[in-house]
This record gives sequence, C-alpha cells and structure tokens, in this order.
Amino acid sequence: MTDMRIFDPHIHMSSRTTNDYEAMYDAGVRALVEPAFWLGQPRTSAASFTDYFDSLVGWERFRASQFGIRHHCTIALNPKEANDPRCREVMTELPRYLRKDGVVAIGETGYDSMTPEEDEVLAQHLALSLEFQLPVMVHTPHRDKENGTRRTLDVVRESGVPAGALLVDHLNEMTVDMVRETGAWMGFSIYPDTKMDEGRMVAILQRIGLDRVLVNSAADWGRSDPLKTLKTGRAMLEAGFTADDVDRVLWRNPVEFYGQSGRLNLEPVDGFDAAAPPAETFSGNSILRGAPAARGA
Amino acid sequence: MSSAPTTRWAPAYGTNGFTEHTLTAALDVMAHAGYRAIGLTLGTRHFDPFGADWRERAEALAADLRRRGFRIAVETGSPYLLDAFEPFAPSFAAADATARTALIERAIDIAAIVGAECVSTWSGALPQNVTEDQAWQRLADRLRPLAARAAEAGVRLAIEPEPGMIVDTVAKALRWRELAGSPGNLGITIDIGHAIAVGEPGGAPGAIRAAGDLLFNVHVDDMPEGRHEHLPLGEGDLDLAATFAALDEAGFAGIAAVELPRHAGEAPMRARQSLRILEGLGACAHDPWTADARLRISADPECVEELFADATRAVGRGEPAARARVALMTALADHAAGAEAVRDLYRRGDADERLAVLAGLSVLAPVHGPAWRDAGLEIVTDALRTNDPRVVGAAMGEFARHHLDDAAWRQGVLKLVFMEAPLGQVAGLAERRDDELAAMAERFAAERTAAGRTVPDDLALIRAKETAR
Repeated sequence: MTDMRIFDPHIHMSSRTTNDYEAMYDAGVRALVEPAFWLGQPRTSAASFTDYFDSLVGWERFRASQFGIRHHCTIALNPKEANDPRCREVMTELPRYLRKDGVVAIGETGYDSMTPEEDEVLAQHLALSLEFQLPVMVHTPHRDKENGTRRTLDVVRESGVPAGALLVDHLNEMTVDMVRETGAWMGFSIYPDTKMDEGRMVAILQRIGLDRVLVNSAADWGRSDPLKTLKTGRAMLEAGFTADDVDRVLWRNPVEFYGQSGRLNLEPVDGFDAAAPPAETFSGNSILRGAPAARGA
Repeated sequence: MSSAPTTRWAPAYGTNGFTEHTLTAALDVMAHAGYRAIGLTLGTRHFDPFGADWRERAEALAADLRRRGFRIAVETGSPYLLDAFEPFAPSFAAADATARTALIERAIDIAAIVGAECVSTWSGALPQNVTEDQAWQRLADRLRPLAARAAEAGVRLAIEPEPGMIVDTVAKALRWRELAGSPGNLGITIDIGHAIAVGEPGGAPGAIRAAGDLLFNVHVDDMPEGRHEHLPLGEGDLDLAATFAALDEAGFAGIAAVELPRHAGEAPMRARQSLRILEGLGACAHDPWTADARLRISADPECVEELFADATRAVGRGEPAARARVALMTALADHAAGAEAVRDLYRRGDADERLAVLAGLSVLAPVHGPAWRDAGLEIVTDALRTNDPRVVGAAMGEFARHHLDDAAWRQGVLKLVFMEAPLGQVAGLAERRDDELAAMAERFAAERTAAGRTVPDDLALIRAKETAR
C-alpha cells in the first residue's frame, strides 16, 4: 500500500483484469476515467458501439466498484473508426449517453489519419461539448503528431470550446508547448517503453511546472502498465518534488479538469476504508454491504 | 449542482378507506398510485391486533414494507373493534377502559415491530354520569403508563382531536398531554378536516400552528364547515393551499394519510386522485423537480428518457435519484405508450437507471395490461442474465413474484444465492418457494460441501423440505 491517492485520467479498464484492479487499489488508485476508444478489432456497426458504451456506464462501473475504485468514462466515436461510415451512424446515439451520470467528458476524439471524415466527426463532438457543457478529451495522432496537434488546436479554437475545457492527450516534448500556450490541459500517457516514460515526464514537469498537467497510464489491451501513474509519482519524489506536488498532478489536476462535468463521484466506495480491506468485504457472507440482514418473512 | 435532500412529509392513504381490499391488495394499489407510506388502522379487516399470530404478521408486514420502501403510521380508530354495538367504545374515560388501553398497548408493540412513525389514539366520548373533571383525571391516569410503555419501545404516541369526543380540539389535546406529564414521545395527530368541523381557531392552519413541534401525524380529507363528514379533497370547505403551506412552515416531516372511510368502493380511483392533488400542494412528497418532471411526462411520455438520466443531477445521487426515478416511472403507468417507454428506459439505462426501472416495475406489478407484462418480463429476464448482484436482486421483486414462471423464478433465487446476495430482497420468497427449489438448494449445498466451500447462510431460507405451495 502507498499513501498516494491517484486518479488515473485515462485507462481502458475493459481490457484489464481483476488483478490489475487489485494492484491499482493497492497503489492508491481510487478513481479513474475510461475513455471510449477502439478495441483493436474494428467494429462494423453502431450497435457494437452502443453495447460498448452500455458496458462503460454499467458493468465496468460495477466491476471497478467491487475493487474500491470509482469508475467514470468519456463517450465518443474514436477518430480511427470515424472513417468507417458503418460506425459513424453511432453519432446520433451519443447525446443520450452524454446525459448519463458517469460520463464526465466527450472523448477520445481528434485525429488519427487527418481525413475529412475525422474533421467532420471532431466538429460534431465539439458541438456536443458546447451543448452538454462537458469537457473534451482529445487524442493526438501517433503519426505526424506535431501537425495533428496543431490542427486539433486550431479546430477547437474555432469551435468556441474554451481552452480550459480541453484536454489534449498523448503529448510529448515536441507537442507540449503549443498546447500549453493555448491554456488547454496537457495529458501525458506513460508507457512501458514507447512514446513517454517516467523520467522524461519528470523532466517535462521540471521545465513547465505542474499547472494543467495530467499523467495517465493509458493502459489497454496493448503492452502497457496500469501502475505507471504510481511509478511517475515515485519518480517525481525521487527528483525532489514534494508529496503535495505529486498529489496535485495525480489527483487534484484530473479532479479539477473532469470536475467541470459536475459528475465526478469521489466518495469512497462503501466498505472500502482502512478498517475494511477489500479481501474481507467480499469474503462470501450473504449480507450485502449496507443492506439489512436477510430475514425470513 | 445537486440540491441537498430534504425531509418532507409523505403522502399516504389510510387503510380504513380500503375496506374492500385485503391489506396486500391495498398496498399494491397504493404503491401503484405512487404512495410510499400507509396509515394502517388496526382492525379485523386488515390487521387483527388480537389474533394469535399478531407478532408473526407484524414481522411479515415489516418485511413487506421494507421491500416496498413504505413508511407507516398505526391508527387505532376502528369503530367496532372493541364493542360490536357501540362505535368507538369503550372511551378512554369509561369506568372500565381496559379494552381500550389493551388495544393501545398492542398497537405500541406492533408499531415497534413494523417501525411505525407513531400510534394515533383519541379520547373517546364523555360517558354518562361522569363529570368532566373525573373524565380528565381518567384520561391522564390511563395515558401516562401508555406513554411510558411506548417510550420504552421507542414508539411515539399521538393524540387525535375527534369531533364529538372529550378531546376535540388541539388545545384540549395539549391539555391532555400536559395532564399526562408532557412526555417527549407524546404528540398530536391533526385531521385537517376535523379542524373546520369543530371550528378550530384559525381553521386547519391555526390547528397546525397550535400543535407546532408536537405535530407527529396528519390525516388528510376535506370537510364541510361545522359538520363531521369525510370528503375527497376539493369537495369541502377546507383551504387546502393555506393548510399545506402551514404544514411546510411547521417543518412537518411525518406521514399525512388520506382518510376516506366512506369511499372504499372507489378506493383505487380516490387514492390516485388524492395523490395527484397532494402532489400539487406545498412541498409534498415530490421535490419540485420531480413534481414538474411527472407533469411533463404525463403530457409527453417521450421526455422521460432525458429526465430519467437527469435525475441524479437534479435531486442528488443515490436514494433521492432512485426515488425520483420510480416516481417518473409511475407517471407512465396510465399512459398507452408507457410500457414501451419503460422498455427503452431499461435498454438504454446505466446501472442505476436500470435498478430504478426494476424498482419501478415492482411498484407497477399489479398492472395486468399485456403491454406492461410483456415489457416487464423482457426487462426482468434480461436483468436476470446480468452478473451484477444488485440488478439480479432488484429483478426478483414484486414483478417477478407476480409474473415470472416457476422455472425462471427458481433460477433467479438460486442465482442470488450463488452470487452470495441476500435472499431478503426476493419478494414473496416464503409464499413461492417450493419443493423443487428446496431440491435445487440441496444440490447446490452438496456441491459446495463437496468442494470444501462454505454454504451461504441464506440457503437455509429455501432448503426446508416441508414447504408447501
């Protein structure tokens, strides 16, 4: 157990195991955001999306709560699948999900290959952000990242979505400054050995400070590590940052950004506190926690 | 953005207006109409307080009320319960009032078991050949030990001024209380119609203000001025708006039960009608958002989906949102498109919304329209396929009890055991369990034992082999 409290602002728990949930709880993770994204295997219909969205606002929330973690999600048609007309039909279904309690932002949206279709879908997402007063989480492309990031920032500026309601994710040394200048929030995904690591993250923090910086594991079905948030926190401490600095980056910043939705639930899950570790709470007695004991009528 | 949940009075309907229904049927109708509280008059019709198995029946009622989420007040005004010839006899001031005090004692014991918010009593009439002073002395002497007994049981007693009786005004009720030593658990029940029948100063609002903090319980009806005749709301001389404004001012948070004993033949209609009127008065059971949302849904059922999702932000996460959502669902009950709208609510709902749909279905279970039954079966069947014990538990409520076939119902029960969720949430478990379920439970226990694992305690509730259908 650590004494850090961690909010992972970007992790795809549907692709992870219960062992991960346990390890994350032990690491101090108490809340997270699972952005809607693609599944590795391309989808071929809107119904496939709605089943996925239903699990993000239903089953996965319940699964996380069993391990003492508050689960939230973002909803969008991801940029990769925005290029498939069969998938684009799901856009008309989004508004009803954007009203749901656990949905704290629109995302991941943005660019993958910077096609006209991606342009169009991004614009629709930004309009939904204004309509539902939800922040937007934008994914920056893995290829041609600098151009993609710049174009994202231009499109958002023109949409009227305020910079403070925008999180641009998967940033690196090359893209952080252009985002920082706009006043948008900066997300960094820390991976095992690609894209961004703990050491480089600490160096960026030393250079630009802690304002509007979010650190996430972006763990999914690929090679990734759901404890990268914890490891970044430790690297910060080793580099001389204070525990309060770590709390700011790993908890208060994501809470402030996603808190703009008015829908974060950060109360401890019933039965999860120092006095009642999860292993005991789910030890198979027949009494649902918080419910009166069953009585024969 | 969510407003803090406030404590409000709960609209209820008195069982003395449901004498053509069994207690269970009355509760079904009340729940369906949207009530979440009941005024239970002890008597031979609904709950015989002196029957040998009163304690078991009280425990069963407590479980039923818990499952339905109902609050309860216990009433003792059944006219012929203690004397077949003379109504309301014996009086508290009669030479021999043991039958009356025994009734109140038993009412206190029952109230303790069912978790009632209070027990109401009145004084009775002035007996012949008894002076007023003697009568007051008897009232005081007999009430004092009852209040003490109630205090010990954690029960509140409330004096109801009744036209034609010794204590017919709030002022006299307060006097009786004082003579009994002003115990903290002794308060007042006000029948708002009585207030204008007896000419309380300031009418019903005046009576409410006079009772102040001691107002434990309210009876709701309309009445002609100066005449004791229980009328549906709006048909008498009562200033309803002023009366309910006074209740809100007084911060009343108890049960307000409609008393229409003369309208039992049309009880379901009167229950629905009364609630609709009550919901428009003051800060009633529904917060303003929910009340407004129900009106919008009545006009246009299609807006229920958005309102359903918005409930959390509007009234607060958890119990308040769950209550509001059930209220939104019941607003669909009489609508032709209601069943289809509920089907969509479930299909498109997140986990909390689905739980609310299942809770709402339990409330609407007595509806036998095929559209509702089909939609409900589809929803419950889907819920029973999930792996979320909260959803499976909620699916095994009143709707499943009424409409699920035996095989599916047994599978649902056993699935809950398997998920180690409590069986207390299964509606009608004691009534519907059968030999086949017991046999399934035995096989499950044997399998668990063979694997060296523990057998869930709740399995005992269905293992008993002597169960009969």
